[in-house]
Formats: sequence, C-alpha cells, structure tokens
Amino acid sequence: MDPAISVREAIATVLRRELPDIPDHARLFDDLAFDSTSIIELLVQLEDRMGVRVDPDELNDCVFHTVGTITDYVTKNLA
Amino acid sequence: MTTELLHHVLDDRATHTPGLPAITLDDEQFSYGGLHDASYRLAVWLRRIGVPRGGRVVITRPNPALIYAASRAGAVFCVVHEQVTGAALEHVLDDAEPSLLVTDDQADLAVRRGIRVATTEEVAAAATHERLAPVPAPEPGDLVSLIYTSGSTSRPKAVVSTHEQTVFAARAINARLRYRMDDVVYVPLSLAFDYGLYQLFLGALGGSHVWLGSSSDTGPALLRSLERSGATVLPALPALAEALAWLLSRRRTSAVPSLRLLTNTGAAMPQETLTMLRQAIPGLRVQLMYGLTECKRVSIMPADEDLRRPGSCGIPLPGTQVVVVDESGVPLPPGHVGEFVVHGRNVMAGYWRRPELTRERFPRPGVLRTGDFGWKDSDGYLYVEGRRDDVYKERGFRVSATEIEAAAHGVDGVRQAAVVPPRDDHEAVLFVVGEVTAESVVDGLRRGIEPYKIPRRCLVVDEIPLNHNGKVDKKALVTLLGRRTV
Repeated sequence: MDPAISVREAIATVLRRELPDIPDHARLFDDLAFDSTSIIELLVQLEDRMGVRVDPDELNDCVFHTVGTITDYVTKNLA
Repeated sequence: MTTELLHHVLDDRATHTPGLPAITLDDEQFSYGGLHDASYRLAVWLRRIGVPRGGRVVITRPNPALIYAASRAGAVFCVVHEQVTGAALEHVLDDAEPSLLVTDDQADLAVRRGIRVATTEEVAAAATHERLAPVPAPEPGDLVSLIYTSGSTSRPKAVVSTHEQTVFAARAINARLRYRMDDVVYVPLSLAFDYGLYQLFLGALGGSHVWLGSSSDTGPALLRSLERSGATVLPALPALAEALAWLLSRRRTSAVPSLRLLTNTGAAMPQETLTMLRQAIPGLRVQLMYGLTECKRVSIMPADEDLRRPGSCGIPLPGTQVVVVDESGVPLPPGHVGEFVVHGRNVMAGYWRRPELTRERFPRPGVLRTGDFGWKDSDGYLYVEGRRDDVYKERGFRVSATEIEAAAHGVDGVRQAAVVPPRDDHEAVLFVVGEVTAESVVDGLRRGIEPYKIPRRCLVVDEIPLNHNGKVDKKALVTLLGRRTV
C-alpha cells in the first residue's frame, strides 16, 4: 500500500475525524491539532498498519513537522 | 523561621543550601539563592508598578521567581495554561480582574480592559536590576493563588488558596513523597495545574532540582528529555506513563532512565503500564495519588502499595481525614460506597466570586464535598469509583461537559450540542445539530476553549434525543455511537 495513503489513514484514526485530501505540507501540530500524546498514538498506528519499527532514539521534531515529513520517515524505515 | 507564608518555603531552602540547583527552565538554570534573589527583586517591582496587596497577577509563561514574588508582595498569582488564549484568556481577565498580565503576545486583551501588561523580557530585567527594598509581609490567612479549573459551570472557575492552606498541603505531600536533595524532578506538566505548580514547592522543601519541560518534550522526545535532565522523579499522568512505557519497549539501546519515583494523579493508572515500567526501569517505585484542586491532594499511596492493594488511591494526607457519607451526609462504614468528604487544613478557601457554589462544595471552612464517589477499606485506604456531576477527564485533565456544550453553542451554525462523557467502551463525544461539519465545529471550538479540552470525537446528528423530563437523553446518544462509523 502507498505509504502516503496509510499515513493519512493513521492520522484520521488518531484524530477521530475524516480528513480527505490533506496536503503533504499540512503541519501536524499547527494545522491538524496534534499534541505530544497523539503523536505517540500515531506512531503506534503506523507500526500496526505498516510494520514500521520505530526507534525512539532516531525520532526528532523534524520527523513530525508535516504529513510529508512523517511519510518520508515511514518510507525510509520500511526498507 | 516558621514556615507560614508560601515564599518561606523558598527562603528556608535558600538560607540552608543557596547553591543547590532549584529550577531549569528553557535551558537556563537557577540556584535556590538565585531564585530567592530574583523573587525578592520582583516583589519590590510588583509593589512599585502598583500591584496592591491582594491584587491578582496573571502569568502566561512558567515563571517560578514571579510566583514566589507575588507571594512575597502579598499579591495573588494565577498561572494560566499556554493554550489559554483569545476568548479563554478574556474570561480569566474578566473574572480575576488582575492588576497585571504577563504576556508576550496577548497584550491587547489586557490593554483594552485597562490592565497593565508586562513582557517576559521586562520581568526578566526587573528580576536582575530592581533595587532591593523592604516589602511588607502578608498574613498567613491572605490569599496567594487562583487556580482555574473546570467543573459543572459553563466557564472555568478559580479555586482560591491562602498561604497557610498551600503550605499545609505542600508539607503534607512532602511528608509522603520526600523528594531529596539529589533528586531531579522532571515536570512535563503546566504550572497552571496544581499538580505541576506544587512540584515547585515540593522541590524547595526537599532541596531538589525541578526541571520544567515544555509540552513538545513530552511526546517522542520524552526519553531524551528524561536522560538530558537526569530525572529521578517523574510526576506523570496516565497518558504520559503509557507513552513512556511504549517508548521504552521500542528502544534498541539498553540505556535506562535514572527514575526512582513515578507519581500519578488525574485518572486511574493502568496496572499493565506500571508492570511494563517496572520491568524496564529497575529500582523504580510508584506512588499513586488522588486529589482535586479544591483541596490540592486527598490521598497518596505508600511506595509500591499498588502491588498489594490494586485499585486504591492511598490514604488521606497526614493531619487530614476523609469521611465517606451517604446522600444525607451520614458517615458510612468501610466497604460502602458514598461521597468522599475531606476534612483538613488542605481544604482551600473556596471558589473565586462564586459564593453559592462555594457554600455548596465547602459547607464550612476546612470541609470539602468532593463530588467523587468511592469507598474505604478497613485500613483506611480509599478507592474512587467515579463522579456525580458532569465533570470528566480528557487526556488526564478535568473537563466539564457543560463548558464544552456552552462553547459549542457559540460556534456559528450550531443549534444544539451535547457531550457524552467517556465510558469504558468509548471516549468523550460531542454531538451537534446544525448546518455544520464536524471539522468546522472543532475549528470553531479551538477559538473558544483550550484545545486539550475538545472531545476527540464530534458527530453531527439530525436531532439530539430528549428523555421524558425534556433533558438530553445521553443513553440514547450513546446508542447512536454504535450505529455510526467515523
């Protein structure tokens, strides 16, 4: 499955709302109202859906900047 | 020196061990001596710029020196959460009528109301340069803080505390938790909540280093924040403890945080989370607690007692009593469920400018009807079962369904609104009727109330069912949940 689609589904699940057509540049905190707890929920969702294995020591704020940056991170860690 | 005024907690510490680190905030460290000096200069400054005895000082950024300065100057501090902006901050300004608002970006709201504004930069300059001068001391019975909290009214109301109530509560908690001089207390909580605020006082009583984290440090960065600070104590909420357990389980290195004590309040901590944390962090001890802002803290468990008495939230603070009563106020024997009524000097003065509500919840000085229901075992351990009114916890924070409903009614296009508090099988849900989408309602709410209070789910429905009394039928609403998918 296309990571971009899986990431959007995971975001919709965490935020409990339909979010059709979120652009890559949408910011998780400022535009989508994520908080630090929901970011962890998102990581759990991504692991479950996509089999990504997250290493907390590799995570930094840049990863969670936008929908695009989180998609890039996931894609890189799928390999 | 007798410790009767809140700033005496700091002064005692600064007298004995002025060189110990007191606070780290935004990568800047202050010693107890330095904090004492800054709070003294700021107290002089507060008097000079015209904050009278009893005048309120609203603080929008964490500032321990200014909190102690307000205490020293006989003023009343009120720390508001960083997410309290716009209409939510206007409510605080209209309700508290402060003499001073410290803010960097919301000055216009105060200026329009004739309230003096200071920037954090101006405060920092005064903390360094204001010339020392005598400051007349307040009385132990004077007010020292307003803490805004939600509950059964459409807008947040403030719990008022005096010096002696605050000092009593801090000392009683300290007698149970005993923070130490070699402790680093990592605080991931806002000082707007009493759980965060009191970490300052517990740290001063113990001589510990209180490291104030920002909200962005508490997500994926939590492990790194704990390591960077060298944290030994973590005051947690369930969601934060769950995040920590998850992060530890995913970690590839074998490094382990140096935590020795984890506390919890706000909502029940899942035992499974504690099991994971205990496995991952050898030597970690856990003290579960229960409290509400109206009396700061009700009860604390001895360390690791949750393993022996699962589900308990501890025994009442030393020097206080909790009585379980039935509907007519008659005390019940152990094992019977009733309302918790707290008797003690930790019971605060009441609600700011809400005399009726104060009489209802604080029937006489030193007595608080908590509105929480539960029972006591034969050893005096408390077990909380739930609340009577419409207050519930969202992400560990207290939220009032009435407040959310009132805010939703203020959103354009909303004709009706009802909140169903969370239950075991679903989280809090906001139901609305009107020419709106769930997204437009959530966006509208974000302009009126703090984002952390907004229910995670919002459903637009054709109508809100009423029961035979003409009240919202929340049970019928719950059945709608099963039939719809979001």
